[in-house]
Amino acid sequence: MKMIYLENVSKVYPNGTEALKNISLNIDNGEFVFIVGPSGAGKSTFLKLLIREEKASFGKIKVSGYDLMKIRRGKIPYLRRKMGIVFQDFRLIAKMNVYDNVAFAMRVIGTPERAIRKRVKEVLELVGLDGKENRKPSEISGGEQQRVSLARALVNKPDMIIADEPTGNIDPELSFDIMKLLVEINQTGTTVIIVTHEHDLVKEFGRRIITIEDGEIKSDEKYPTKYHRTEADKK
Amino acid sequence: MKIFYLIKEGFKNIWTNRMMSLASVIVLVSCLIITGAAFLISFNVTHLISKIGDDDQITVYLDYDLNDLQSIKLGSQISKIKNIESYSFYSKEDALKQYEQVLGNIYESMQDDGNPFGNAYKVKLQDLSQYKNTVEEIKKIEGVSAVSDRSDIAGKLTKLNYFVTIVGSWVVLILALVTLFIISNTIKMTMYSRRYEISIMKSVGATNSFIRVPFVIEAMVIGLISGLAAAGVICSVYMPVRNAAAGIIGFIGESTFTVEQIMIPTFIVMSSAGLLIGIIGSIISITRYLKKEGGEIIGW
Ligand SMILES: Nc1ncnc2c1ncn2[C@@H]1O[C@H](COP(=O)(O)OP(=O)(O)O)[C@@H](O)[C@H]1O
Ligand SMILES: [Mg+2]
Repeated sequence: MKMIYLENVSKVYPNGTEALKNISLNIDNGEFVFIVGPSGAGKSTFLKLLIREEKASFGKIKVSGYDLMKIRRGKIPYLRRKMGIVFQDFRLIAKMNVYDNVAFAMRVIGTPERAIRKRVKEVLELVGLDGKENRKPSEISGGEQQRVSLARALVNKPDMIIADEPTGNIDPELSFDIMKLLVEINQTGTTVIIVTHEHDLVKEFGRRIITIEDGEIKSDEKYPTKYHRTEADKK
Repeated sequence: MKIFYLIKEGFKNIWTNRMMSLASVIVLVSCLIITGAAFLISFNVTHLISKIGDDDQITVYLDYDLNDLQSIKLGSQISKIKNIESYSFYSKEDALKQYEQVLGNIYESMQDDGNPFGNAYKVKLQDLSQYKNTVEEIKKIEGVSAVSDRSDIAGKLTKLNYFVTIVGSWVVLILALVTLFIISNTIKMTMYSRRYEISIMKSVGATNSFIRVPFVIEAMVIGLISGLAAAGVICSVYMPVRNAAAGIIGFIGESTFTVEQIMIPTFIVMSSAGLLIGIIGSIISITRYLKKEGGEIIGW
């Protein structure tokens, strides 16, 4: 099944910048995709179209069953509940502790507190932060902060994780751990889309690599990696 | 659970933005006091006019040398004029008797021939707006020496009431706009200071109505506090002001509302006005803020 479907999509910003030109691509359920390319190529714009932060100027674009050219404003929050978004700068709320930063994502979509307690504990364990619930973001390392932000992205059980330079602000060794975590999440069936320009990570984890240059898809290739095992490999 | 969370967030907003909240409470209270005062003055003047209208008897003074029989004949002439509801004879003896206490010993000597008063009639009108014409007609009757004229006061009060109503409406309108502006600005500041959180809320799929609630609650609380404070101030200065006014114009004392009469309506109206302004002001600014399509998830 296709999670993401783009056909001849272009994005022109109001100031005339043509950030994406006639892009067509599909991403299936459960894929692990890197988006790479030089700065200013249009990678973030691509992600913004997916989360409907920006509307495409031309073309067809469908995500998680929503037609993003026709979606009503009131439906956008429900589209976003199907995706977990991870930012380069973590986007944590400084005055909230780790637990509340993650629980926040459930509270604002109206989840009952009891379900929140159970689920937050689960994801904090998954990202390896159990025991640090009461720390403030300023009291943990950059790598840990990004884990909190990853936990927040995961907590509502999204169909896909969308990450824009998730390791841009953390040390290389810790970046590696974050990537491993993302692969682990992917193994449970969640689609993962990562924008990065860190070649080491791409080389190590690259499963499907889409290169964008100057608003156009330059290449789109699939590779085997030792981290990604196919269903057949697992047996 | 959810609504408690939202209410808690609303109160947190107020505390986080306490300087701005305090400023908007002060401005709102001032606006509400002025508005409330305009209303109260208008109500009291209207009330005053209707009271004056109620016991607005005209006294028709007859010529001094008219005897009782002549006076009674004249009374039947008065009764023929249209717009007379009732009339009663007010003899010179009655008039003198009014002053018995004041005159003391002299009273006895003033009986009969010494009576300085003439006979009179107390006349009540059907339609007060025809006051002037009716008075003119009575004056034309042979033997009428003078007609007491309270139309002056009634006319002045009517003018004052008109003035208070017109000016008051403008004041209220302008203040309502100022107040809306202030409160929507406060909310805009709160939203700006929390734009980071709002952007995170949006990125995890919070609906606009969910995002809106804490800010509306914040504005409602500010509005309610301001309404209650304004009502408190108005009620505590009401009687001193009324008494001061009564000191200048005596009958204001009996013919206006007491603080007990205005207290409950004032509290109800002021707090609902505050609430309403809070709700409208915040919804305006939040809707504007949330409508921006792009750039919601800031700085990405
Ligand atoms: N909101 C915007 N308004 C106008 N131009 C923009 C906006 N966002 C990005 N751009 C431009 O679009 C192009 C692609 O930007 P972006 O998608 O952020 O690239 P990347 O993430 O690959 O570095 C750049 O030229 C950038 O300046
Ligand atoms: Mg970018």
